[in-house]
Amino acid sequence: MIKDLVTDKKHLFASGANTELRAQINRARQATLLNGDLVSNVRTETSGVSARVYENGIFGFSSTAEYTDESVREVLKAASENAAFLASHAGRGKGPHKPLPDTKRFTAHEINDLEQRAYIGFAKAVDAYIAEKYPDLISRIVVAMADSSEKLIAVSNGADVHWLQPRSFIYVQMAMEGPNGQPVELYDVIGGYGAFDANFKDASTLYERIDVLYDKLRQKANGVYPEAGVKTVIFSGTLAGMLAHEAVGHTVEADLVIGGSVAGPNLNKRVGSELVNLVDFAHTAFGKPVPLPVYADDEGVEATDAVLIKDGILVGYMNSRETAERFGMKPTGNARAYGFSDEPLIRMRNTAVLPGKSKLEDMIASVEDGYYLIDTNNGQADTTGEFMYGVTFGYEIKNGKLGRALLDTTISGVAFEMLKTVDMISDNMTWETAGMCGKKQPMTVSMGGPEIKCKVNIGGR
Amino acid sequence: MIEELKNTAKKAIDALVNEGADKASASVSKSITHEFNVDGGEFSLFRTLFDKKLVMECLKEGRKGTDSRNRYDDESIKDSAKSCMESAASSTPDEAWDIAPKGVNEDFVLGEIKPDTDRFFFRCRELVDDIKARFPQIMLEQMIMSHKEVLSARANSNGVLFSTHQGSYQVMLMFSGHEGDKASSFFVSQAASYDLDKPFIELGSLAADLGNVEKQIETTPVQGKFEGTMVLMPSCTAELVGALVSSFASDTALLSGTSPWKDSLGEMVADERVTISLAPLDERIVCGKRVTSEDFRAENFDVIKDGRLNAFCMSLYGANKLGLKRGGNDSENLVIAPGDKSIEEIIASIDKGILVGRFSGGQPSSNGDFSGVAKNSFIIENGKIGFALSETMISGNMAAMLKNLRAISKEQVADGSTVLPFMAFDGITISGQ
Repeated sequence: MIKDLVTDKKHLFASGANTELRAQINRARQATLLNGDLVSNVRTETSGVSARVYENGIFGFSSTAEYTDESVREVLKAASENAAFLASHAGRGKGPHKPLPDTKRFTAHEINDLEQRAYIGFAKAVDAYIAEKYPDLISRIVVAMADSSEKLIAVSNGADVHWLQPRSFIYVQMAMEGPNGQPVELYDVIGGYGAFDANFKDASTLYERIDVLYDKLRQKANGVYPEAGVKTVIFSGTLAGMLAHEAVGHTVEADLVIGGSVAGPNLNKRVGSELVNLVDFAHTAFGKPVPLPVYADDEGVEATDAVLIKDGILVGYMNSRETAERFGMKPTGNARAYGFSDEPLIRMRNTAVLPGKSKLEDMIASVEDGYYLIDTNNGQADTTGEFMYGVTFGYEIKNGKLGRALLDTTISGVAFEMLKTVDMISDNMTWETAGMCGKKQPMTVSMGGPEIKCKVNIGGR
Repeated sequence: MIEELKNTAKKAIDALVNEGADKASASVSKSITHEFNVDGGEFSLFRTLFDKKLVMECLKEGRKGTDSRNRYDDESIKDSAKSCMESAASSTPDEAWDIAPKGVNEDFVLGEIKPDTDRFFFRCRELVDDIKARFPQIMLEQMIMSHKEVLSARANSNGVLFSTHQGSYQVMLMFSGHEGDKASSFFVSQAASYDLDKPFIELGSLAADLGNVEKQIETTPVQGKFEGTMVLMPSCTAELVGALVSSFASDTALLSGTSPWKDSLGEMVADERVTISLAPLDERIVCGKRVTSEDFRAENFDVIKDGRLNAFCMSLYGANKLGLKRGGNDSENLVIAPGDKSIEEIIASIDKGILVGRFSGGQPSSNGDFSGVAKNSFIIENGKIGFALSETMISGNMAAMLKNLRAISKEQVADGSTVLPFMAFDGITISGQ
């Protein structure tokens, strides 16, 4: 656990300014087997301390890899000097943020930092199962990985935080010969919140998921390209989560709204059918902890849910303290930094489309000619809401029944137009936790959703 | 300071050898970053970052271990050596692992080592003012301007010892065009420079990119589906051709056996006008790596030379494993040789096609198939650039594309990390509503 050298430095915080002082350790462990060969065997640890000072409408920030009483004082001094430099050249004449009540959110707990042999051994066991059972594969990749981030934050007002987030995953990728001898690939990621030894006790518990992955790959190897054009599709919960995060979530981050995103002129307007509800959850959803709970952010704001779309109407943004004041909204704890040397940015946490009342089988039965899109390997979106996903697995739907599997394809649409075509939402809920969002810094996020029926442009070939 | 880092790197090697490593390598670096941020068109943040890095690697009876952390005091080196050896002990033996042999050890100094903070801020503010004056419809979503000083030393147990001390400026703009409630797609433009001699707006293709985005506020979808010519702007050439090199010529693609080029070394894989190089030593590249991450002196190399597959981007491990030649560098700094036609002449020769500024799509399939959305793009009709596009998808196959080259422009854009021309390819499927 991080030694506390920050909370006793509050007396050094400048008056009339907002100050955050953060000590942090990020760890990553990874072992990668490619066709049984260990091609990557890495342990990384990054730690240090940073300070951020908000004064006259601008921020000064400084960080150092050293973590001593002296270095903590130095970053505080450097952050204040940087704020003063920028304020003298480009200050905006603003006062400090509205004060928040002083609280503490100390939720960190010890986790077992396993030796590398644990990751390698587990990856080998998974790989051996695949190699023996599925010799017809062209290639197989197995990665055992774990990461964690521990933060100790002292703020001039608001919540002081001691927080630790461990995640661990097994990544499996397979390739086999497809149409015309060309390789086709598919992957699965198993795991989520929690230390590696808590999530992975026995490789045999993964065999069922691996068998499913192989079966899907075999179907894909005999698959077809979809017909290009605007089609009726059913998104799996995975794709619905990607939609919530990429196509809608980013446009309603308040810094991107200020930068000109499509959400600016659409606040309080209809952006989806009345079935559509979308929330960025803080720590609890549907009575259970969300995959990556956040109890307070790096500005000392107690985390609460950010309701973004309610019954199809865009009702809110995700904010930092600064943007919340600008938009007259309540800050919800979305200002998060990835590494010790990163400043807090407005980031999503657990962003999801809310479930509806339909049954998946009824949704499939209602489609005469369309597609059920199940897996994706990436998604990108524009500040206009125009989005693109790579789809790596799915099925045709013909006359209400699933047909042939699909080869890789791409779908695209414009979020606030596409959401208006949503006419059925299932009562299921799927979360994905392996994601790493990119926006100046990486960030751990989760996303989720039910199956949704809508219309999108599908790329075909 | 450099001598201190070199000694630290040697100390790390000694620590690994003392722990029983047969072979060892270490890199030690220290960096200082000064960074100004503009958000929503206004200055928002000034950061100074002081960081360190220690990466230690060892081989013990053919087993490899790696440990990385951002401290290199004596205790950290000792801990890291132990962790590295533990990691190797659990590893699988593989004869392909090795370290670089001793060559000529060198010290490199590149660029403006220390920033002049006042002059740097002047150039940053000048850029904001230039954009407001020359491109009034542009909204700056984010702008990051930084100077980074890096001191680094690399050593291994064969006696390799390199050092580098470098400083350079980087500019990254994310912006979109606006008129009332109408907005273009966002665009990211970046450039690097060794010094502050020129206004930032003159670097790379910043001014051209800002001008193009102002013309993309009003967009029209392509109607229907057709096969046409795709002209890639240099920024998009980096995305698509860079992805192709990664999918077809990388270590992983070759080791996994999924590369369509795995048996094509020495064969024609592209039109004879295509020469694709990875060239960190090109004089137009800013702070290209002089030493690879495997402790070799970096060299430029051609992946494709006059259309023929010349080399793969192999690591030492990959090269030993597959009996291939090691790539000359860390597979960075894409440079594509220019053609003999101007971009105007190329456009004038196209009946129907598309000029693409940005490609929003995933990594191409291992067989080279790609499909995605053409962003920041224009229609080309009857030899002229027409309206800006929305909701338009492009698809094709990268291997086929390189053989269907129509033209390469004689103009190149050097943004500090790549040197790229416009490239035109026939036979691309373009589809809209």
